[in-house]
Amino acid sequence: MSAAPAAAPRWKAILFRHETLLLLVLVAEWFYFDAVGARFATLDNTFEIVRHHVEIGLLALVMTPVILTGGIDLSVGSLLGLCAILFGKFWRDAGLSPLEAGACTIVVGALAGGLNAALITELRLPPLIVTLGTYSLFRGLAEAITHGSDTFTGFPSSFLALGQGHWLGLPAQTPVFVVVALGVWLLVHRTTFGRGFRAIGFAPEGARYAGIPVERRLALAYVLTGMVAAVAAIIYTARLGQARADAGTGYELYAITAVVLGGTSIFGGVGSVHGTLLGLAAIAVLDDGLVHARLPREAAGVLTGVLLLLALTGSVAPKLWAARSKRRPAPPAATPPSPPLPTP
Amino acid sequence: MSRYFREWSVAGALGVLLIVLAIFAPAFFQAQPLLSLAAAEAPTLVIACGMALVIICREIDISVGSQFSVCGVCAGLLAAHHAPTAVALAAAIGTGACLGAINGALVAGLRLPSIVVTLATMMTWREGLNWWRQGEFVYLPEHLQWFGLSQSAGQWTLIAAAGLLLVALALALRHLTAGRFLYAVGTDMEAARLAGVSPQRVKFTTFVTMGALTGLAAMMNVVQSPQVDPKSGTGLELKTIAAVVVGGVSISGGRGSLWGAFVGLLLLACISPALTHLHIEAYWEKAIQGAIILLAVVADGVRTRRKKS
Amino acid sequence: MSPPPLLELRGLLKSYGGVRALRGVDFDLRAGEVHALLGENGAGKSTLIKVVTGAHQPDGGTVSIDGQPVTGLTPASARKLGVACIYQQPALFPDLTVAENIALRLEPTSGFRRVAWAARRTRAQQLLDRIGAEISPEAEIRTLAMPQQQLVEIACAVGAGARIVIMDEPTASLTQKEQHLLFAVVHDLRAHGVGVIYISHRLEEIFGLADRVTVLRDGQSISTQAVAAIDEARLIQLMVGREVTQIYPPSESAPGEVVLSLSHLGASATPTRVRDITFDVRAGEVFGLAGLVGAGRTDLARVLFGLVPADSGEIRLQGQPVHLKSPQDAVAHGIACVPEDRRRHGVVLEMPVAHNMSMAIHSRLFPGSWLRLGAERRLALDFIRDLSVKCHGPEAPAGSLSGGNQQKVSLARWLATKPKVLILDEPTQGVDVGAKSEIHRIVRRLAKAGLAVVLISSDLPEVLGMSDRIGVMCSGALTAILPGDADAATVMAAALGKGSKGKAA
Repeated sequence: MSAAPAAAPRWKAILFRHETLLLLVLVAEWFYFDAVGARFATLDNTFEIVRHHVEIGLLALVMTPVILTGGIDLSVGSLLGLCAILFGKFWRDAGLSPLEAGACTIVVGALAGGLNAALITELRLPPLIVTLGTYSLFRGLAEAITHGSDTFTGFPSSFLALGQGHWLGLPAQTPVFVVVALGVWLLVHRTTFGRGFRAIGFAPEGARYAGIPVERRLALAYVLTGMVAAVAAIIYTARLGQARADAGTGYELYAITAVVLGGTSIFGGVGSVHGTLLGLAAIAVLDDGLVHARLPREAAGVLTGVLLLLALTGSVAPKLWAARSKRRPAPPAATPPSPPLPTP
Repeated sequence: MSRYFREWSVAGALGVLLIVLAIFAPAFFQAQPLLSLAAAEAPTLVIACGMALVIICREIDISVGSQFSVCGVCAGLLAAHHAPTAVALAAAIGTGACLGAINGALVAGLRLPSIVVTLATMMTWREGLNWWRQGEFVYLPEHLQWFGLSQSAGQWTLIAAAGLLLVALALALRHLTAGRFLYAVGTDMEAARLAGVSPQRVKFTTFVTMGALTGLAAMMNVVQSPQVDPKSGTGLELKTIAAVVVGGVSISGGRGSLWGAFVGLLLLACISPALTHLHIEAYWEKAIQGAIILLAVVADGVRTRRKKS
Repeated sequence: MSPPPLLELRGLLKSYGGVRALRGVDFDLRAGEVHALLGENGAGKSTLIKVVTGAHQPDGGTVSIDGQPVTGLTPASARKLGVACIYQQPALFPDLTVAENIALRLEPTSGFRRVAWAARRTRAQQLLDRIGAEISPEAEIRTLAMPQQQLVEIACAVGAGARIVIMDEPTASLTQKEQHLLFAVVHDLRAHGVGVIYISHRLEEIFGLADRVTVLRDGQSISTQAVAAIDEARLIQLMVGREVTQIYPPSESAPGEVVLSLSHLGASATPTRVRDITFDVRAGEVFGLAGLVGAGRTDLARVLFGLVPADSGEIRLQGQPVHLKSPQDAVAHGIACVPEDRRRHGVVLEMPVAHNMSMAIHSRLFPGSWLRLGAERRLALDFIRDLSVKCHGPEAPAGSLSGGNQQKVSLARWLATKPKVLILDEPTQGVDVGAKSEIHRIVRRLAKAGLAVVLISSDLPEVLGMSDRIGVMCSGALTAILPGDADAATVMAAALGKGSKGKAA
């Protein structure tokens, strides 16, 4: 009975290594920017970094369960835009208080996520194409509602404090982020829902056979994404003091990048919320540090893209190497035509 | 009939739209604006053709918008430095092919998922271009505009070029063995391999072709205006994916035709001017576009579900 | 001196992991003969096909074609040497037309050559005419029914000028008329000097069609006989007559009350239509379900587990009629199912043993959805000890375990639900001998503890050795219910659809 002896420790070691590696990149970034840039590694600046990346961070957090199930949600950036201007509408035109408007916006976010979920689970459509459609739809609705030019400003200062003020010396949005991060972490790592997400990501049919309610789990992931996108929209509005239809353009890409960079496999199953947080931090520090290093902001985009490609290549390289050296192993069962799973 | 059912239904929808326009907004059918519209959409058609190829072999390329901008700027810079038009054209196509080859190598060689690979290259090229050019426009010499022809002659040239390319590619897809491999790889990689086709080579070639077509499209765009906007490719990937999917090319590979991509693009391209002529605010364009995509995939989903049960 | 045989296999060996699929197979095929290959499921027929078609490399032995030994056979080189195979499930491209599918097989696969549509169509039409199939070359494959797809496969083989044609249960899904069509094609091929390897479970086909027959058993070729010189009874005996290599634990339980009761159950949303199934299973009883691959046993299991809806009939659990709409329903009613495809459905290979074991009892083990890792670990450790699962602790990914131990993990997952009815679908397939007898002992123990066990197995000695009663299925229907001490030949005869001699029990 020769069950691959070192399998369990190595499996863990690789997972561990990815996150340690990312942590090292983060530390290196930190010290490099501290050395070259003025006033980078100060507390104030750290808070600024946090403040500017909370919205992307929220999206990345809830994108993690979605990608764990093997899906993707391209519509989050557009939904952020739609929710931002709906929040403005609720407040300015419907005369609701910011609190009530916020609650309504979150309901809208849940409904929008529910639309994605319904199309994906009921009609078994690929998430990629469904959310591509809603990507266009949500942004389009935002533009249509504002006629492309209407912006909402003049929010009460009590509301703006959420995005611009301080709370116990921290940026005011930090508690929201921490609560969501903790919530998603617990959901993914400490509840049966997280188990369900992973099982679906690894083997959707296997999960069904194991009695996991696959449709309900998928729906949860997408509805949650919608709700948190709405929260991000409110914070975004509070931070900038205005709501515009183009809010959050391109955020979905940054969110996905943070998740994949954090070691979550795009094929599903493998990944962690703390990985996502590290990936997010790596992007955020890069983004801000380059400005302090007097390098153009665009360099951050280039480096993020390259980093993403490197992370991906690193995740499949060992598998590919093993396959090459073994010269096409012949499994007795027919291999399904799905893409190869990356090594966890 | 059933073979081109989807293409015909999209064409039908387009026909209905045109009839509505004919009744309520006959002004839509003025020759000059229509010609401008067609010329402006000609580059998009070229990219949509490439996108159809990529999606038929069950991949996707969301970096085309960035590639388009990069190729446009490269061609524009060459032209601004007094290179002949032919050289600029070759440079655009060559740049595109190289960028496509990078995507292809990552997808086919390392077997990475194309959605993430092209997401990363999209970001890299776009931001790289911004870094390099700082959003600066490239101002072009006179002789490049409309290839030195009159405006309408130039427009007709572009339309003819895109049309010819569409016909050539559609015929190749249907009548060259290489075209049939694309469907085989998109349907079932393992079966294709057993039939003696190398799926990885097919995929690599497809991405290179996609890149070259994007380069060509960029050049076709460059000649239409006196300067090159480094952001001109923004959103192109979605527009072309939408056109292709609406035209009945299955996102899960192996099904669809370039004719479908063509009518899909026609439908989407007509929406914006149609809105203007029907006195609906143009801001609805994107929402309607999204709704059409969803409608198309829902139609697919309902059909496959019904077939199963 | 006669010419060398078209195909000659000598002492072929092949194992997968630790499982020896071929242990010395000798076989030869002459030009212009139909040579039938007969054997139980798992006797090594499909492995043999894979070796001959170049899909897998043998570990030992020789393959000779036209008297020339060939090594390093690949699918492409096998095709070049004139080998063609018609599988049960045709490997065609569903979205391409018949003519295109034929062309993909037959035309060279390099270069940007022009597709000669007219020539393609004509050739496709000629090939289809030659085998007498009424199929339009323009039809897309997915619009065709399975038998028509098979005919397209045959047309490909004919068109490729194949000299060695392998047919793997070609008639499994054909109607009477289509079968006659196929037989005519086979006769025609033989008349043209083609050698046909014909695999079928239907004895009358073998007697009507084949010139010689070779019986495989346990990866070995047992006997090659001229069909004219042998009768059905002898063939069945050759197939099943293995020496008893395994001692099955004796049944100790006394069956109690009826737990699961099916009456006239039918379902059509399955690959094989399940028709009019009626039987009872009692507590403490092992009810074996025998039959050949495609007889509908797994489909029945899927219906009982709520994965496929039943259209007619009734399922009763302890006397109460139940409607099973999802696996969750089935679990709630105390039905558990260890699925056939262990690697895809039975366990999630990438997840740890402990997570796999707790997966079906999330709601009970983790009240409020909150993971209790300690409880989970204890559960896993209990089962690891109880079923003696060999693994590096509960944290080891299930994929790192051997097949038998993976099966135990899958079993543990379902035992954790404390079921009343346990369906085991091929529990010992691809499992080594040691683990196999361990699983048998576990099944016995469970039955003794009062569980109603439905044991689906294609391993005839296993069904015979383990079951208190045996239901035999053929083409989606129950053809016989036999007592546990029935002999192999009777079961095999019922599985082959040969009357219902022993509808006694």
